[in-house]
Amino acid sequence: MLSELVQGDLVTMEAQHALSFQRSGARQFSNHGAASARSAPLEDKYPKFTNPQPNFTSGAVGHIFSSSSGMSSDFHFSSVTSHTSLSEKAPFISQSSEILQSTASSQYMKETNNSSWCTDSLPDFLDYPQNTPIQSSNLEHGLMPSEDLLDYPQNTPIQSSNLEQSIIPLEDFGKQNDWQDWTDQLINEDGAMTPDWNDILIDTNIADPAPKMAYHVGGSSTNSMQAQPLIPQSPGEICVPLNSTPCGSGSQSKPRMRWTPELHEAFVEAVNKLGGSEKATPKGVLKQMKVEGLTIYHVKSHLQKYRTARYRPEPSSEGPLEKNSTSVEDFSSLELKTGLEITEALRLQMEVQKRLHEQLEIQRNLQLRIEEQGRYLQMMFEKQCKSGMDKFTAPSTDLPSLQANPNEPGPDPVVGPSEEGPSKSEPGVSQSAKRAKVNT
Amino acid sequence: MKFGKRLKQHVQETLPGWRNMYLNYKGLKKLVKLMSSSLEYGISEDEFVYLLDNEIEKFNTFFMEQEEDFIIRHKELQQRIKRVNENELSSQGEYEEEMARTRKDIIDFHGEMVLLVNYSNINYTGMTKILKKYDKRTGGFLRLSFIQKVLEQPFFTTELVSKLVKECEATIDEFSPAVVVAEEMTKPAGTIVGEGIFRNTIVALLTMEEIRKGSSTRMYWVTITKKLTEAGGSLKHRPQFSSIHLISFLHSSKP
Repeated sequence: MLSELVQGDLVTMEAQHALSFQRSGARQFSNHGAASARSAPLEDKYPKFTNPQPNFTSGAVGHIFSSSSGMSSDFHFSSVTSHTSLSEKAPFISQSSEILQSTASSQYMKETNNSSWCTDSLPDFLDYPQNTPIQSSNLEHGLMPSEDLLDYPQNTPIQSSNLEQSIIPLEDFGKQNDWQDWTDQLINEDGAMTPDWNDILIDTNIADPAPKMAYHVGGSSTNSMQAQPLIPQSPGEICVPLNSTPCGSGSQSKPRMRWTPELHEAFVEAVNKLGGSEKATPKGVLKQMKVEGLTIYHVKSHLQKYRTARYRPEPSSEGPLEKNSTSVEDFSSLELKTGLEITEALRLQMEVQKRLHEQLEIQRNLQLRIEEQGRYLQMMFEKQCKSGMDKFTAPSTDLPSLQANPNEPGPDPVVGPSEEGPSKSEPGVSQSAKRAKVNT
Repeated sequence: MKFGKRLKQHVQETLPGWRNMYLNYKGLKKLVKLMSSSLEYGISEDEFVYLLDNEIEKFNTFFMEQEEDFIIRHKELQQRIKRVNENELSSQGEYEEEMARTRKDIIDFHGEMVLLVNYSNINYTGMTKILKKYDKRTGGFLRLSFIQKVLEQPFFTTELVSKLVKECEATIDEFSPAVVVAEEMTKPAGTIVGEGIFRNTIVALLTMEEIRKGSSTRMYWVTITKKLTEAGGSLKHRPQFSSIHLISFLHSSKP
């Protein structure tokens, strides 16, 4: 996986160099990479939300961190941008679906960002062909792939809650208002190429409708907010879905809370104060916890999980240890031996798992690093374009993997004579000054 | 082995409830193939982004749900092992049995968490690949900016789960009995590695090792995986690993 990822990636040399960093580099990088990838957005978010939003009907002070689908050309996509635009739509956090919908529609009208598709639109698209008397076989054939394509996302809980939504947002998308036109166009365009849509878009995964609902506790959507608890603990996060933010999810607007151990601690404390998991009610626990942004739905679903975990502990602990009767028959009756073997097997299992985890961490760090370097390169490029520098001097030892071309001439075609000998036509001082500037 | 194939294999072998939760790599790849720089065919970039966002939502929802469960179960297991250790009333035999059971549960739990981290990784990798293909196909510059967004997503920020994993490792280390590998331990007739967490982690680990070591050892790993698959056939309905012994290849898979 990793080798494929890196080989075709940004800089091949970088990849080779990066791989050599596997063990040693990974550890140092784990802080660096993680920090750089995460700390910036986090730090951006937290300070921002000390001011309560007066419109919040749920009384949440929380701050909304959203990684919405704003497709700006500005590649420094910061969550700050997205959430400030969201904060204007404060009412969306409300649990009232009507407010949500009307606000969503009106807000959406103003939305200049065309890429913010509403999750709702496509399910409606799915419904549409079934309702209309479109008979041409071509059309059906053309429509099927969309169904297949959209069937897949529809398997997820998010979609299931959106089926009744209006298609208003789609109109704002700027393209065809008419579903029929859209599909016609799609089919006509495809006519020349005759793709076998069925083949292309059929989901390769095994469609298994049952399990998906297991993750859909309480019918919650994925709208979220960040919770700032009044008690100074790490708050949970409320996560905003990427493209359904203003549209919400109708009657099931239960923002998804990202729980943390600290938040769970507070939960357990509250439950215990109220007499245990059986006695405690969601409302009571919610009140007791006093965490802003936390809704009763969050508590309810969490309480449910909690009860399950307590009264139906890990499945294997039910019954005797040697649950696997098939294998037990293979064994001698000496319990000691079996016990030893079990222990050994468990130990090995742990080793394998540990190892896998180690490798996953390494891979993740590498991925973060790759992206960081990508950003760096991009930044360099933009800087260089903007300032219209005569030359582009490659960064120095900060990024050893980029030292392949230390004196790469800049892309600026106006450069002229300095193209060939970048260091020649410039005094040494300004060259190093430029280098220093570039490196900051 | 190409990523698509590997993903497919992984999905087929993964825990049942997880199968629907992975990236629709094949579908998206085909979609990208249809695109061109003129955007005459296929779908527009915005529509493509919409689809990707949907995938991300799917990952996030699933991931956070699992994460929440893990947080709860982790605490319960910690408490349980404490209780077992502090229980003065049980006999030595009972204590041993309880400890063994709890240890086993912790190890399985550990495995499940690692598999979630693996899930995150696979989907991230698939996404970058799709984005690369898209850029290549359309001459666009979607990848760089889009991936920034992905990096911040809950499903990719696996630090908490990793932390819980390490805590489990510490707990197990603390409460492990002295390891005595008896010489006279006879190995069972067949290796029994059921469908379940352990099997999944083995497969995942093998997959990663395969990538890292290159294809020269591929046939070896494929053979091993096949063995596992065959052995596991009789235990289709075991949600948790409950094998008794492993074949020696596991020893050889260590560095």
